[in-house]
Amino acid sequence: MSAADQTQRLAKGGLIDRSKPLGFSFDGKSFAGYHGDTLASALVANGVRLVGRSFKYHRPRGILTAGSEEPNALVELRTGARREPNTRATTIELYDGLVAASQNRWPSLDFDILSVNQLASPILVAGFYYKTFMWPAKLWEALYEPLIRRAAGLGRAATQSDPDHYEKAWAHCDVLVVGGGPTGLAAALAAGRAGARVILCEEEPTLGGRLLSDGGTIDGLPATDWIAQAADELSAMLDVRIMTRTTLTGAYDHGTHAALERVNDHLPVPPEHQPRQRLWRIVAKRTVVAAGALERPIVFGGNDVPGIMLASAVRTYINRYAATPAKRLALFTNNDDGWKTVDAAIAAGLTVAGVVDARQEASADQRALASKHGFAVLNGVVDHVDGGRKGIGSIEVALAGGARATLEADGLAVSGGWNPSVGLTSQHRGRPKWRDDIAAFVPDGAPPGMSAAGAANGAFLLTDCLREGHSAGAAAAADLGFGGSVGAAPSSDDAPASSLTPLWHVAGKKKAFVDFQNDVTASDIALAAREGFQSVEHLKRYTTLGMATDQGKSSNLQGLAIMAELTGRSIPQTGTTIYRPPYVPVAIGALAGHHRDENFHSVRLTPSHHWAAERGAVFVDTGLWKRAQWYPIKGEKDWLESVTREVKAVRGGVGFCDVSTLGKIDVHGPNAGTFLDRVYINTFSTLAVGKARYGLMLREDGMVYDDGTTSRLAEDHYFLTTTTAKAGLVMQHLEFCRQVLFPELDVQLTSVSDQWAQFSIAGPRTRDLLCEIVDPGEDLSNEGFPFMAAREVLLRGGLKARLFRISFSGEMAFEISVPARFGDALARNMMIAGEQFGVTPYGTEALGVMRVEKGHVAGPELNGMTTAADLGLGKMMSTKKDFIGRVMAGREALVAADRQVVVGIKPVDKARRLRSGAHVIRKGEIPGPDTDGGYVTSVCFSPMLGQWIGLGLVSRGRERIGEIASAHDPLRGEDYEIELCHPVFYDPEGGRQRG
Amino acid sequence: MVEPSWTATTPLSRIYAPGRHGVKNDAARLSMAELTGFELVQVMARRGMWSPTDQACREAYGQAAPAKPQATRAEGALLIWSGPDQIFVLSPRGSSLERARLAFAGMASLSDQSDGRTLLRISGIKARDMLAKVCSLDLHPAVFPAGAAAATSIDHTSVNLWRGEDSAGDDGAAVFYLLVFSTFAESLWHTLLDSGAEYGIAIDAATPWQG
Repeated sequence: MSAADQTQRLAKGGLIDRSKPLGFSFDGKSFAGYHGDTLASALVANGVRLVGRSFKYHRPRGILTAGSEEPNALVELRTGARREPNTRATTIELYDGLVAASQNRWPSLDFDILSVNQLASPILVAGFYYKTFMWPAKLWEALYEPLIRRAAGLGRAATQSDPDHYEKAWAHCDVLVVGGGPTGLAAALAAGRAGARVILCEEEPTLGGRLLSDGGTIDGLPATDWIAQAADELSAMLDVRIMTRTTLTGAYDHGTHAALERVNDHLPVPPEHQPRQRLWRIVAKRTVVAAGALERPIVFGGNDVPGIMLASAVRTYINRYAATPAKRLALFTNNDDGWKTVDAAIAAGLTVAGVVDARQEASADQRALASKHGFAVLNGVVDHVDGGRKGIGSIEVALAGGARATLEADGLAVSGGWNPSVGLTSQHRGRPKWRDDIAAFVPDGAPPGMSAAGAANGAFLLTDCLREGHSAGAAAAADLGFGGSVGAAPSSDDAPASSLTPLWHVAGKKKAFVDFQNDVTASDIALAAREGFQSVEHLKRYTTLGMATDQGKSSNLQGLAIMAELTGRSIPQTGTTIYRPPYVPVAIGALAGHHRDENFHSVRLTPSHHWAAERGAVFVDTGLWKRAQWYPIKGEKDWLESVTREVKAVRGGVGFCDVSTLGKIDVHGPNAGTFLDRVYINTFSTLAVGKARYGLMLREDGMVYDDGTTSRLAEDHYFLTTTTAKAGLVMQHLEFCRQVLFPELDVQLTSVSDQWAQFSIAGPRTRDLLCEIVDPGEDLSNEGFPFMAAREVLLRGGLKARLFRISFSGEMAFEISVPARFGDALARNMMIAGEQFGVTPYGTEALGVMRVEKGHVAGPELNGMTTAADLGLGKMMSTKKDFIGRVMAGREALVAADRQVVVGIKPVDKARRLRSGAHVIRKGEIPGPDTDGGYVTSVCFSPMLGQWIGLGLVSRGRERIGEIASAHDPLRGEDYEIELCHPVFYDPEGGRQRG
Repeated sequence: MVEPSWTATTPLSRIYAPGRHGVKNDAARLSMAELTGFELVQVMARRGMWSPTDQACREAYGQAAPAKPQATRAEGALLIWSGPDQIFVLSPRGSSLERARLAFAGMASLSDQSDGRTLLRISGIKARDMLAKVCSLDLHPAVFPAGAAAATSIDHTSVNLWRGEDSAGDDGAAVFYLLVFSTFAESLWHTLLDSGAEYGIAIDAATPWQG
């Protein structure tokens, strides 16, 4: 199909570039358009009227508007993974090769099976779902939900992952101008000249707003020349940033705004390394809303027939895109502004079929125009339009005197007046106020720092827009202390004010649509009124008025007006619903930005990460960390085999594990010991320098918060460790204690988690390995370095390290810390030095197995619901001092005899696998909430015992050691016998770690 | 017995690839580098000891300890505000920890963070545009002049950010420095590469911090 086939394209005029023809396809059919077109304007130029089917009744629909408020012309844009549903054809910039498809029709747009819904429309009224799918309730899952789901929704989301990149960015300015029409340009010019940092956001690809459609003369220049001049002046200002293709979607606290920039939506595929869309957070000290106004339709029978279009949109297609929506156009208006459409139509060579003006009297100029061009001016209203997918059949007019008339036309332009865009100014629960003279809501106040100007403020005359914009921009800048000369406001001597007689609804029998996208009709509003849903918020939810993707931009006011009339109230008495962001739909991808897939969150890597990766370690996500879970070696068939080997190697020889993920906090200051006494249940002020101690801290409510080993490195310096999971939280908690609870204490805290690479070295041959690493001058003997000793040592090669004789595995063990840059080298050195002893790196699984074998509690037991006594650590609670959580830990329920406490658990059948989560029930009792006696918290296969073992929290557990109970695991459908036992399965005397 | 060798790595050294990244335009509009070989000491004044700490700083480093978000060039060190009553002393690797111990004895607690942070330099005419994608702060020259510093978060990661002297090169562009917790560095590096790819990035060879 060639450019010549654009049957509805004017030979000249418009702002399209005829030297750049573009090809595109709609519903599989090829068309041509020009650079500068939208998909909608290109469809208009090709004479395509039917572009979609409506949501509920599958009514044939055409294009209603020429902007982002479009309710009807929603299409699926692109194909495959890039398919994007519910995209407004009126905002899609045409590009070569564009592929779009209509929605909500099957098998084709022309012949749609579900349009039979129209026949069932008497039952598909407002509240249909509430009323219909109520009973019998058991049919909900099987019948109702699948039925609704199949019928629901418009377009289809892509089934593949979006291949494009989205990102977020911040911007800052003194004055943010929302909208690049005459008002916004005047505001930006004034603020920029004054010296303010300005950001101007314009939704469309080019500046100008309505000037691009309606023209005009500004400061003696044709509108397009003035726009170019203004743009040049703004671009030359260093601190003015013009952001086109950017819609301001929300106003948030403290002058923060959200704006969506469609960086590359106008291209088939974004250039390499570029995002498709960018979500901006713009922080502005002042905001001038110059977002313009939206024309509103009039509700009458058949007002959704393709070919009926807003009058302003008709002018946009003719003047801006040189595309004529009709050959023979009629106009239905209640105001003078609508008459501009007649001028545009005549200038473009269209035939005017007639003007239906709801006002009593047309002006002399209008009558003269009519007689000159031979069309009738009918005083009355459009009663209804007949027609369908082929477009308008006839326009039936009810004349003011009671007579009827018929107009024959293939296009009907409708103007019911203009609504200022009050969405942004009303977002902080603001309610706009009613102005009778324009029969519309205008902003009544705005979020702090925000003001509205021009059409968004109810000033519809071009010269008023320019003056208000200039003055708002100047005021915003002056308010911030910018004193540069703002120059004179631009001016225009355009037509005088437009008179308007409000008209919302022409009552009649045919379906008259209020909300096109959600198929809400005038009779639905009447039904809601009859059934008592008269509050606007009830009306909205009962009928779904204004709840579609257009958020009722072209329907809410007519709905309110009809409700007002039915209930005998005024429109302002009826009120408006709450305005919420976003102003236009925002893709979830843009909200996610960079944070998807592997970038979903940041990742923390231990100093030995790359060494472990080279060895083929399997990593597990632990919070943000990647931790080596186990290190498989060739020939091992599963994780259990690897983990079992690692445990045996440690218990029989020596192994090491990177424990750098533990939180590490330097606690400094003369009162460090006192501080620790208050945050731990046990005492640290008495700890000798060079010694480590296991510590437990409680929350204020008496429950266990975290545990770890803390060493005293100097009189005024402790080195505190936390669990991996709680590292950040404990740091916060301690800072809170330091700054708020105990400001009298002289204590300083720093996280040193990233400073140190820390490894646990464990097993009977630990000392042999250490001797290869540590300088021979260091005494590592039991006497020279006893259990729980901690001090700095010299390593071979001159490096200083910290050595702690602590054990989580129950083996003879040390933890060694080196500055993180040597962590990788330490791992490699230990492998080389330990080769002779069969040194084995082990991961978090083996670590877990050994701690369960030793009955050490960890995350599953420190679950925020256990006390120190529950964990078997009650004796650690000092009675000689106060500490956080002490008083609350004494509450009745926290010391009750039947609390669930830590015990060991073994399946009676030694071959059986124990699973965590299984409930512990007394033998013979029927499992249920009343008989539930606790559950299995941690399990492992113990290589030392040759069977599965576990820890559990069991009611009165310590009194029940030796009891045979039942494990009830409804999740996995298992019931089996278990023995409750002492939680320390291996080396209960602890000789190995002291040896 | 083999004497162990202690080869230092940096958090980025295993993945660091000097050269061009992203768009292949003629001139990279963004430069990034890891700076190594520094010592970083966190100096935290003890209760009520900020004044003596500040005085000690003037004596030892010839400059006041920054009491607001600033990075101050001092003798042999950069003094970077890091919070109320605390600063970082950043120096080329040497004996700065010992120097700080002598300078602040009795009035401040010190914590060695030389390995706890990774230092990045970001410059070029698109540095601000790239940083705008990851940093919520206003880095406009009038708001964030040379010597301005901030403790903020980038990509959900705590960082210290400051602006140094403008580049001596042709573009005269702003130069930003970023201190990030070492275990987050690789992740952040990838985010920065992704964010700057559309401008074309020159990844400079990792070089020691020179002050």
